[in-house]
Amino acid sequence: MSLTLLQVVVSGLLLGAVYALFSSGLTLIWGMMNVVNFAHGDFVMLGMYTAVVVWTAMGGGPWASVPVAAILIATLGVASYFLLVRHIMKGPMLAQILGTFGLALFLRYSAFNVFGANFRTLPDTLVGGSFVLGGIRFEGARVLAGAVGLIVTLALHFMLTRTMLGARMLAVSEDATAAQLMGIRPQRMQALAWALAGGATGIAGAVIATFFYTSPTVGETLAIVAFVTVSFGGFGSVLGALVAGLIIGVVESTSAYLIGPVYKDVIVYVLFVLVLWFRPQGLMGKT
Amino acid sequence: MSTRRALQLVLALIAVLVLVYPLLTSGSPVYSRLGALVLLAAIGASAWNIVGGYAGQVSVGHAVFFGFGAYSAVVVYTHLEWPPIAGAPIGMALSVLLAAVIGVPTLRLSGHYFSMATIAVAELVRVLSSTSEFLGGAQGLSGPPVPRGALDLSFISATPYYYIFLIVLAGLLGLTWWIERGRMGFYLRAIKDSERAARSLGVSAGNYKLQAYMLSAAFTSLAGSLYLTMFGFVDPESGFGILISVKMVVMAALGGAGQLLGPLIGAAILVPLEELSNSLLGGKGAGLTFVVYGAIIVIIARFLPSGLLSLVERRPTAPNSAAPKSTGKPVSGHAD
Amino acid sequence: MLIEARSVTKAFGAFKAVDDASVVVEEGEILGLIGPNGAGKSTFFNCLTGDLSVTSGSVHFDGIDVTRAAPEHRARLGLARTFQVPLTFESMSVLDNVTIGALLRHHNARDARTRARDVLQRVGLGPLSDAPAKSLGTPGRKRLEIARALASEPKALLLDEAMAGLTPTEVREAIELVRRIHGGGITIVIVEHIMEVIVSLARKVVVFHQGREIARGTPREVTGDPHVIAAYLGRRKVRT
Repeated sequence: MSLTLLQVVVSGLLLGAVYALFSSGLTLIWGMMNVVNFAHGDFVMLGMYTAVVVWTAMGGGPWASVPVAAILIATLGVASYFLLVRHIMKGPMLAQILGTFGLALFLRYSAFNVFGANFRTLPDTLVGGSFVLGGIRFEGARVLAGAVGLIVTLALHFMLTRTMLGARMLAVSEDATAAQLMGIRPQRMQALAWALAGGATGIAGAVIATFFYTSPTVGETLAIVAFVTVSFGGFGSVLGALVAGLIIGVVESTSAYLIGPVYKDVIVYVLFVLVLWFRPQGLMGKT
Repeated sequence: MSTRRALQLVLALIAVLVLVYPLLTSGSPVYSRLGALVLLAAIGASAWNIVGGYAGQVSVGHAVFFGFGAYSAVVVYTHLEWPPIAGAPIGMALSVLLAAVIGVPTLRLSGHYFSMATIAVAELVRVLSSTSEFLGGAQGLSGPPVPRGALDLSFISATPYYYIFLIVLAGLLGLTWWIERGRMGFYLRAIKDSERAARSLGVSAGNYKLQAYMLSAAFTSLAGSLYLTMFGFVDPESGFGILISVKMVVMAALGGAGQLLGPLIGAAILVPLEELSNSLLGGKGAGLTFVVYGAIIVIIARFLPSGLLSLVERRPTAPNSAAPKSTGKPVSGHAD
Repeated sequence: MLIEARSVTKAFGAFKAVDDASVVVEEGEILGLIGPNGAGKSTFFNCLTGDLSVTSGSVHFDGIDVTRAAPEHRARLGLARTFQVPLTFESMSVLDNVTIGALLRHHNARDARTRARDVLQRVGLGPLSDAPAKSLGTPGRKRLEIARALASEPKALLLDEAMAGLTPTEVREAIELVRRIHGGGITIVIVEHIMEVIVSLARKVVVFHQGREIARGTPREVTGDPHVIAAYLGRRKVRT
């Protein structure tokens, strides 16, 4: 493999780790309560704007913006759960899909009105230049983003699979009534899932903002990336999202390099349709 | 003599008003244009209603069919110098084909997959259309600048468009009404309520959903072609943009999804609102319009999932029993 | 024979819910499938109807191999069913629910409706025709499901715990209804928990335990079988 291609793969993996992080929020909610958050991409978008605002208003770097975005988007998640999702999840399919879809439009165009349509970028210097290791160039912002993505996704995975709290959340997703009989409060667990998903998504947004343009409609593209990741990884599996995210990151960056940047989104969409056609249960899902 | 009779009278009155509307507004081009726009939007929303409302499969990417219709019309003009409307059957055929490609794999799965796939395909086509030389790229394409003959369907006054759209809408609603009352209508409602139970009674759920989707795609495409005859221009955003899909969904859902007249009522409310906000706020209104749209959708989903028409319908008098509702989870015969 | 299941196995991962079950249902009989909770009888039932696909083995209906056929295909051949937890069409009236069933053989909506009215009279739901399905309680829903299935004019009717959750009086009424349906020439397969129901309805019974058939015979024979008693008493393993 040529050095350039290796470079492309490495940046794909770093990007993929971030994809994994924001997709894990979507998969968590879906797996836990069979609800698809169509506003998920816009949650990421708001996480990105949070980073932009923290930087421009307060001069804070990622150290300040990441926790702020995490808290803010987690709050947004919990609020969405209590004010909207909780009520529509038992209703007809139309209401379920329209509810979060409407939320997506609302958030997207509110951002449009507040921040304008222009792309914003954070300065590279915010995370500090780049370095060369083994002939491959590493940009500080992307390395940081990738590392954060990987660590937080794994932390989320271990929390869900290895802790008592994770077991309780799983119990609610399996059978809310039975869980209730065991003294677990389903609503509290579901709200917690929205908080965790929102938090992870906020963090993802804040780190993406350090190397990606921020605009009101960026969430639309990111939402589709998340859908692809989740359908690849199998619904409800955070670990699946991690593997799928890394694969998609690499596919995107290599196709951008080999065919042209315009087609990297096209490749992802095509991939999505192919997965739906041939393996709707996800590459790693069970039949 | 009852409320039913009164309702019939009101409906008849509305029908007459709809028929003579352009005569009432002949003095004002703004209002006759508004009437045509409402009808055009109602065609799109009613087409969506077949699959989204009756079959309960929520497509949020219907713009792809609308765009196929609009682009087919303009392409046959640009590349072959045919009258744009001659592109309509081509757009419809392509749309039906695409609906099969999307529908066959995804309609077997839970509704979320279908919704996601429709978004993704519409976005994919929008991105591709803006890179395609043949389709005029990001600039889009224009229809005939001056009418070359009657077949170009190019008029200065909005009144001819009003009647063309009215005829198409009447045809579409007639077809929907006929479907609703026949076997397919019963089966679609059954599938929406419980697909598993429907299949146990011999209903080929997959086929019916696919048929509804293909029919819906064809009429959405026709709406796109009609749009082009009136506006004479289409670009990736006005053809394939996500907001085109959103408008169809929100109009049907506001009026009442799965109800014959729901989409028309939704269009009659939302189109004037949109025009008003655009004229009051000028170009800046677009963003705000969609904030309002988003809010309306959320409010409908939360408080009025069956739309405005459900408010005037008679409510069942019998008390609801506390029986468990179907959860929409996949088939599981595992538990004994 | 009308239904023939040969060596049907249904596995969920490593767990075999049904393990090598072979059952034959003759035309015109009432066959009871019984067994303690988790015995695999409902899973087996769903393999017969096509709601679940078998892992191995075959299912024939009326001489046709339906092992890979979808539920709707089997319904068209004349195999009707009810569900353990009733799945009535909640947004429709009682009459419309049954009309859906009748549309299978009467493609014209008006004919189907007439046919549905007929069936509703026969099962005793006539007065409730115009009520919304969601206004019914459990016994009403179970009866509605039976009416809906009957309207599809089946050769065989498969009842999945049609009596669960009914009061003794309602059970007696339901037994009476099933007898009448059987009298009309329809073959019946009934999965049941309640021994009394099986004893009063079925001539032939197959007993499931841990995914396997452990006994078959008349209700009297199987209730005296030591394996069956052991299974119902919950002893862990029975060696044969």
